[in-house]
Amino acid sequence: MTAGDHTTFKDEVGAYLLGALSASERASFEGHLVDCPECRHEVERLRPAAELLPRSVEQVEPPPSLKRSLMEVVEREAKERDGAPTAARTPIGARLRGLLGGSLRPALVGAAVVLAVAIGFGIGQLGGGDDGRTVVASTSLQDATGSLKIHDDDAVLEVRGMPTLKAGQVYQAWVQRDGMIEPEPTFEVGDDGQGSVAVPEDLSDADAVMVTREPRGGSRAPTGKPVMTVAL
Amino acid sequence: MQLVGEGSPRAFELLYDRHGGAAFSLAYRMVGDRVMAEDISQEAFLSIWRSRMRYDASRGSVRTWVLGIVHNRTIDALRRGAVHERRREQFEGVEERHEARERTDVEAARREEARSVRTALDTLPVDQRRTIELAYFGGFSHSQIAELLDEPIGTIKGRMRLGLDKLRNQLADFAAGEFA
Repeated sequence: MTAGDHTTFKDEVGAYLLGALSASERASFEGHLVDCPECRHEVERLRPAAELLPRSVEQVEPPPSLKRSLMEVVEREAKERDGAPTAARTPIGARLRGLLGGSLRPALVGAAVVLAVAIGFGIGQLGGGDDGRTVVASTSLQDATGSLKIHDDDAVLEVRGMPTLKAGQVYQAWVQRDGMIEPEPTFEVGDDGQGSVAVPEDLSDADAVMVTREPRGGSRAPTGKPVMTVAL
Repeated sequence: MQLVGEGSPRAFELLYDRHGGAAFSLAYRMVGDRVMAEDISQEAFLSIWRSRMRYDASRGSVRTWVLGIVHNRTIDALRRGAVHERRREQFEGVEERHEARERTDVEAARREEARSVRTALDTLPVDQRRTIELAYFGGFSHSQIAELLDEPIGTIKGRMRLGLDKLRNQLADFAAGEFA
């Protein structure tokens, strides 16, 4: 980083907080933030002012149809997840139930869904009915491996050999798309370095899925360099 | 919030009841179209539900977090579609109003809060306030604003930063975090 670069980025702090950078400018700025404590400090100093702007808005009544349609989707998806599928696409819980004999009670199926996500594509391959593709991750971590199993509207990243994190840290997944980096769920790995995370996104137009170390609770923008990248 | 992360529809409903109005109001302020604001609000809340997006209490209130998601989604929508052209034309026009009824003390407090923030915005020099509004609510990039106002990009970037700095000083009490 040169002094000129830093000056350019520092001038962009306001534009960054107001959402006024283009996708590529934003990605560059966030890359600079990783290495520049001064700009990070300036962003955090001015962030409260930017975050108050939406509170100046005149409150208007949302249409009742917004809550109605939202809750219809939420209730349906919760039922599907709990093992009572109503949509055409077979959820992973039902797939697993088929593999295990089809007699599990809903609570057990809920646990089984977690297990299925944790085991990742291995179960899918056993089931023989999985239509996804698998992409291998590249990583800077010694002995670590990762693979992303991609379905039509979601994906599961399975990792092995990951270093145990310091207290207060988690791993977090990110999706890079059109120069923007979008936050995805956080996850942890076991003592054996294995773990997985569901990426609930259609990745057909994504450029990469990445993993960083983040403070517990996750971050809205990466605070460190990726330790693992799946190029798509 | 923890229960939303665990996939509880009731917890999600509570989240919507508390913050859905503010979310819709922000989207509507930005796009000026109720149907589009509804679509954007739905997308934003479903993204929270589907991804079990993690809320980190150390980084601000739940409302700030939800409104940040709505703002990002609305900017994406504005930059994707033709709405921007229309908004460019009508940005200074009189907007249709569907004001929320003040049914609760919370809503009354939010109206008061909105008035306070607007008062603080009004104390900024006109060029800084206008630049901030075009960026945050209009969804325009700094280069688009430079073109709109026929000013150098450096000037626009400077106004954004200076304006936020002044606003921060004006709103020191708010930024202390009394909002939930």
